[in-house]
Amino acid sequence: MSNPTTQKNDATEQPQPPQKPQVLEEDDEFEDFPVEDWPQEEAEQTASSTANGGSEHLWEESWDDDDAAEDFSKQLQEELKKVEASA
Amino acid sequence: MCSIATKFKDAYVNGSGPDLAAVLTPIGSPEDPTRLRSFHEFSSAEYISKDLSYALFHGKSLKVPKAEQTAWLDIFAAYWEAVDEILQCEDRRPNASVVTVFNAWKKVANALIRGYSGSACLPAWTLPCLYTVGKYLRTFAINADIEAASRGTAGIGFQEDLSAEVEKNGNLEEAARVINRMFTLCLNDRAPIEESRKWGIYDMTNLLFKTYFKINSVGLTKNLLRAIKAQSADLPPPSAFPKSQIVTYEYYVGVIHFLEENYAEAEEHLTWAWKMCHRDAIKNRELILTYLIPCHLVTTHTLPSKALLAPFPKLEGLFRPLSNCIRKGDLVGFDQAMSAGEDEFVKRRIYLPLERGRDIALRNLFRKVYLAGGFDEPKDGQPPIRRTRVHVNEFAAALRLGSSAERWRVDTDEVECLLSNLIYKGLMKGYIARERGIVVLKKGGSAFPGTGV
Repeated sequence: MSNPTTQKNDATEQPQPPQKPQVLEEDDEFEDFPVEDWPQEEAEQTASSTANGGSEHLWEESWDDDDAAEDFSKQLQEELKKVEASA
Repeated sequence: MCSIATKFKDAYVNGSGPDLAAVLTPIGSPEDPTRLRSFHEFSSAEYISKDLSYALFHGKSLKVPKAEQTAWLDIFAAYWEAVDEILQCEDRRPNASVVTVFNAWKKVANALIRGYSGSACLPAWTLPCLYTVGKYLRTFAINADIEAASRGTAGIGFQEDLSAEVEKNGNLEEAARVINRMFTLCLNDRAPIEESRKWGIYDMTNLLFKTYFKINSVGLTKNLLRAIKAQSADLPPPSAFPKSQIVTYEYYVGVIHFLEENYAEAEEHLTWAWKMCHRDAIKNRELILTYLIPCHLVTTHTLPSKALLAPFPKLEGLFRPLSNCIRKGDLVGFDQAMSAGEDEFVKRRIYLPLERGRDIALRNLFRKVYLAGGFDEPKDGQPPIRRTRVHVNEFAAALRLGSSAERWRVDTDEVECLLSNLIYKGLMKGYIARERGIVVLKKGGSAFPGTGV
């Protein structure tokens, strides 16, 4: 007896699927360039930047000889005592 | 007089491919925003063939062989019909549909393909038309799939999941097949190179790359690369092509290698794309770096500098925390940065190579332990030599330092495992003397290769 009522409720409460306007191009798509071709001077790496040693300064070594080496050494010694105590 | 006809004649007389392609572009231009509408009003479905024949080829100004004329009339008749559908969409007519636009545009594409492959044999200078028509075919297909998906859920509701999945990219897959025919049309042209459609090969390849990426069929790009390689002797060198085409091509080839975890090759192609990319193309430069940075991390263990990322705040936010943690040897921070960026890393498909940065972070931490060990007593005025015997406990202590919790008891086995892993990967030189619980590192400034100690 309660069935028809429930069904009716279900039908009316069914939310409309959201009609979201979708963006055409995904944001990770390589774009068409506004110009077909360009001289090397307008490229990322120009002739002069190559002469100056190129893009060396753009990449850095992955380690750090930081000034806090002594701090680290001290902390390490303290921690070492704890490790040895717990071992 | 219809402006599209005038522009067609001008482009033909001047032999300008880009101008001709502009005529076949299915959107208004900045100078003439209503160009489609006026072209549409110029005729009707009933009279379009006659009207076109008169407008394009009547008079003595333009001499075009008969077969070529027929080809263009077919193309422009299909174009007029597509414009009709486009305007219906723009005017939000009740029966308007992007799927119909796509199907109408497919007829333009097919008429164009026939024009090149049939007896008419349109000249190669008109090739930019092929790219423009292919490009919009892809655009319409993407929109048609979106429309079909939204109507599908609104109308039917509970469709079988499987068929919905297959249908999801139905129009785009159809577009890929048509563009693939354009690709073949360019690649297999046997005409002398000056007048060959081979000049269209990179444009068509790039269009297919984008399409295959979008339908998640990156594997299909292999067929294109194989076909190009097989023809490479007959193709002009890449340097003979405009940079816009080659930079795009190299970017995609780089990303394809990247996804196959061939990072060295990926780096080569991406570096090339990076160097040749136009400086003002910020978005494209950002995309190239998104993949080039993880490559550098894996192949040369180098990190992006402040200067490199300065113009790209998004990349700075994505890679800086990770880079700092790697450099400091901060494993806990590294793990946090990885999980903070996880969604974005996964979406961009760079999670895997970035994760390898953990080894570099660990290397740096252990390197600091080595440096903290100081020097052995110098003998007979010899220069001091670093202490190369380091207790496993010292490495364990370093690992505990990073983790704030006391509860984290570092297991000796676990430390030895991490150490042997680094040694195996060549990031650290030496061996573990287990019975004495020490690590014997290589002497002579090469315990941590490439890092100066």
